[in-house]
Amino acid sequence: MRNPLLKRIPRELRSEFGKQLAIFLFFVLVISAASGFFVADDSLIKAYDESFEKYNIEDGNFELNEQADAALLSDIEEAGGIKAYKNFYKQEETEGFESKLRIYAERSEIDRVCLMEGELPAADNEIAVDRLYANNHDLKQGSTIELADTTLTVSGIVALSDYSALFENPTDLMFDNDKFGVGIMTQAGFDALRDNHIHYIYSWKYNESPDDNAEAKDMSEELIKVIAARAQLTGFIPEYTNQAIIFTGNDMTGDESSMVAFLYITIVILAFVFSITTDSTITQEAGVIGTLRASGYSRGELLRHYLIVPMITLVLAAIIGNVLGYTLLQSFFAKTYYGSYSLPTYNVLFNASAFVMTTVIPFAIMLVINVVTLMSKLRLSPLRFIRHDLSRRRKKKAFRLNTKLPIMVRFRLRIIFQNLPNYITLIVGSFLANAILLFGMVFEPMLNNYQDMVKDNMLAQNIYILKADAESSSSSAEKGSMFSLTSKEEGYAEEDIPIYGIKQDSDYVRFDHGAKDVTVSSAYREKYKLSEGDTITLYQKYGDRKYELRVGGFYEYPAALAIFADLDKIEEMFPDEQKSTVILSDSKLTDIDDKLIAATISESDLTKTSRQLIRSMNGLMRIFLAFGIVMFILVIYLLAKIIIEKNAQSISMTKILGYTNREINGLYIHSTTFVALGSIIFTIPLSSFVIGKVIEIVFRSYPGYFEYSVSPLTLIEAGLIGAGAYALTALLLTRKVKKIHLADALKNVE
Amino acid sequence: MFLELSNITKHFGEGESRVEVLRGIDMSVEKGEICVMLGPSGSGKSTLLNIIGGIDNSDTGYIAINGEKTADMNEKQLTRYRRKHLGYIFQQYNLIPNLNIKENVEVGAYLSDSPLDVDDLLKTLGLYEHRHKLPNQLSGGQQQRTAIGRAIVKNPDILLCDEPTGALDYNTSKEILKLIAEVNEKYGNTVIMVTHNDAIKNMADRVVKLRDGMIRKNYINESKTAAADLEW
Repeated sequence: MRNPLLKRIPRELRSEFGKQLAIFLFFVLVISAASGFFVADDSLIKAYDESFEKYNIEDGNFELNEQADAALLSDIEEAGGIKAYKNFYKQEETEGFESKLRIYAERSEIDRVCLMEGELPAADNEIAVDRLYANNHDLKQGSTIELADTTLTVSGIVALSDYSALFENPTDLMFDNDKFGVGIMTQAGFDALRDNHIHYIYSWKYNESPDDNAEAKDMSEELIKVIAARAQLTGFIPEYTNQAIIFTGNDMTGDESSMVAFLYITIVILAFVFSITTDSTITQEAGVIGTLRASGYSRGELLRHYLIVPMITLVLAAIIGNVLGYTLLQSFFAKTYYGSYSLPTYNVLFNASAFVMTTVIPFAIMLVINVVTLMSKLRLSPLRFIRHDLSRRRKKKAFRLNTKLPIMVRFRLRIIFQNLPNYITLIVGSFLANAILLFGMVFEPMLNNYQDMVKDNMLAQNIYILKADAESSSSSAEKGSMFSLTSKEEGYAEEDIPIYGIKQDSDYVRFDHGAKDVTVSSAYREKYKLSEGDTITLYQKYGDRKYELRVGGFYEYPAALAIFADLDKIEEMFPDEQKSTVILSDSKLTDIDDKLIAATISESDLTKTSRQLIRSMNGLMRIFLAFGIVMFILVIYLLAKIIIEKNAQSISMTKILGYTNREINGLYIHSTTFVALGSIIFTIPLSSFVIGKVIEIVFRSYPGYFEYSVSPLTLIEAGLIGAGAYALTALLLTRKVKKIHLADALKNVE
Repeated sequence: MFLELSNITKHFGEGESRVEVLRGIDMSVEKGEICVMLGPSGSGKSTLLNIIGGIDNSDTGYIAINGEKTADMNEKQLTRYRRKHLGYIFQQYNLIPNLNIKENVEVGAYLSDSPLDVDDLLKTLGLYEHRHKLPNQLSGGQQQRTAIGRAIVKNPDILLCDEPTGALDYNTSKEILKLIAEVNEKYGNTVIMVTHNDAIKNMADRVVKLRDGMIRKNYINESKTAAADLEW
């Protein structure tokens, strides 16, 4: 005989259709998003990983100050155990739209390109450009690009395998696929371009590939010595530190961890909501359970019975969520990645780990939480169920409340204490929902604020880094010097720190030049939590020297990590370092030979991090915002509903006594209102603090600095959204209270 | 001896609030007997019934059904004991609200390897035409009849009834008592019924009177009255 209790299941689902549907849809939403994400992410990671072999991506590259002759190159190859490939580029600013275009000659051996649309360049005036760069500037096959002294025609759209993320500088915090792009031309076409901004880059492959990053690090440290001893190095980037190559993989892997955390936190919260719901059902059905247990139903049979509804809901949601994930959402997430990264084409792969993560593990989490909750309840003897005596602790005396408090206040307090577990879950759920909501809300204003702050605190409107000394007649030009050292602080990413030599009476950067100490940018201070008097240890980029620098003060410069020292003392402080001349100027300089300019830093360079983050993340942030609101409403509604249901008899009795619905709402809903609004007020700043800490920790593993700041207005807005969401919930609860009949108080408690 | 109780004691609370609820109960019930336990509130009759039902433990002594002692049983064995031997009827009907009448009875039938025919039983109980209704669509008496159906459908050796008419009016109470007697006669179950209604003793084969946790009287009722003829 089939267990007749099973017949209750469809009826339970039907009788609580709204609630079950809401939970089911929420599960579907979470699981489909996670499943779609994991499938897209894993398929793309696979395509990305395969691209290393398929397109023969370099093990690193170095830049020399001039072209190496064959003898030098072969000497380096032999001594370094590498094969070096010429991989020069020329970088020009485009005319007609603002961007820097880095052009390579066609590549057949190393860092090969993936043709995505059109043709590879055949004529000397043709260029194939990166897909994202093309999209952002509306370039198609046949479009033209104006450079300083030539016009190029786009022959096709490509992905350069060593530029899956368009980083102009490999040590930048963020890539920039709007104002920076890459392209390839025929060798003859490349040669015909002017040489003003040519970079003598040599990509290398080791003769014996390293097994892992640790070995790659050791090998690169040897190689740098070999090259530095034979030529003047101006750049050295092993593959494992080249953001343009590794950022995409790291980001996709990191996103996966975030999605896993997000998925499991949500499932845990929902599992707790479910277990509280089930707990409340058990309380309501205590008499029945006692009778069934007394009649011979085992604890296991009842446990399985009460597990069915939550588990069926999860399994169905997992099936539908996975179907949606594999079909609709994976392409959505893949598009999101393609919107940020220049990835090669990919195939959707069945992903066993996605199934485990979105179905098996959530199933296990739900099962464990519900089994633990149910077991602890069902462990009670049948007699206690029959007597409706389900409190796990022996009842002590009722705690006393100050009788000076008005009775209605005491009544509310009793309701809060009676439902403490529900309220605690509500506060935790509200915290997580607020964290998600806030994450969705703070991003754009925070980035805009950061952008404004960077613009307001620039060293100068234009910074020119020169290859050789040069003069400008412009009255705004101010000469200084610059070189870079490397920071290798434990727990942080290895990153280059520019050190500026600034003259004493500088119009642009004003700080105390008296001491021998250095002045540190505010971004540096914030990232490394520095105080005056602290010592910073920095290392020579291509050598063994170590510098211990004492922090003498700070300069408000939030855009980048930088150190400022007196121009006259810098030579004495860092005698072994090769310094470049820098010109700071608020106006654009036209009298410096273009060939002498190694790089320029303008407003758009400093704001590219925030611009790119807004472009890449804005859509996602709106999803977070909506998700946070839905989660907030769901958690509060489900838990508050249980409180009303649990007190249905008392509510009915108060109605019999003559209390109006308004007064009853004042008792039962206002208690929840008090807790819900209190939790909003408490958890929003807490969420903001936690997000700030998470961002701070996450950004330690990236070079550069990004300040997390939230205006009080955003926090207030988040609070108001939360309060609005609660108001909607309270409306539903008010209807529920209204529906409770007077006769309910006279019924048997079932 | 079908049911044997020997030296059953039970106390609640500790120290000053310690109450001896049962003070050495010795009694036995024959198979197929209707045993009515009477006594004022606090006399220990419900506690004794719960101990017989295996849902409460005694401090000392033992209960044996056909020589099988419950005190030696672990949790699983106790559940099996209840499943195999006992049917329970309470003052509160404790029906499952979202199962209909027939399904509520089937909940009991599921526990037995050889249950009674559910439809036949529903007819006996006068519930056949109400079998598709939910409990809240029936009167208190009909709900209690359903609870009786649920208890006896597995054809238990012992039917334990804790104030089965406590929540019912006079006529309905008589109807229920009549039904219990019919069931006892038809299926031969031993019935142990706890009540504070003195008149019910007249339908019993055996009457046990408790006071202050002790048996004050335990006798065979020689002048048994039909349940329909009970008056109070």
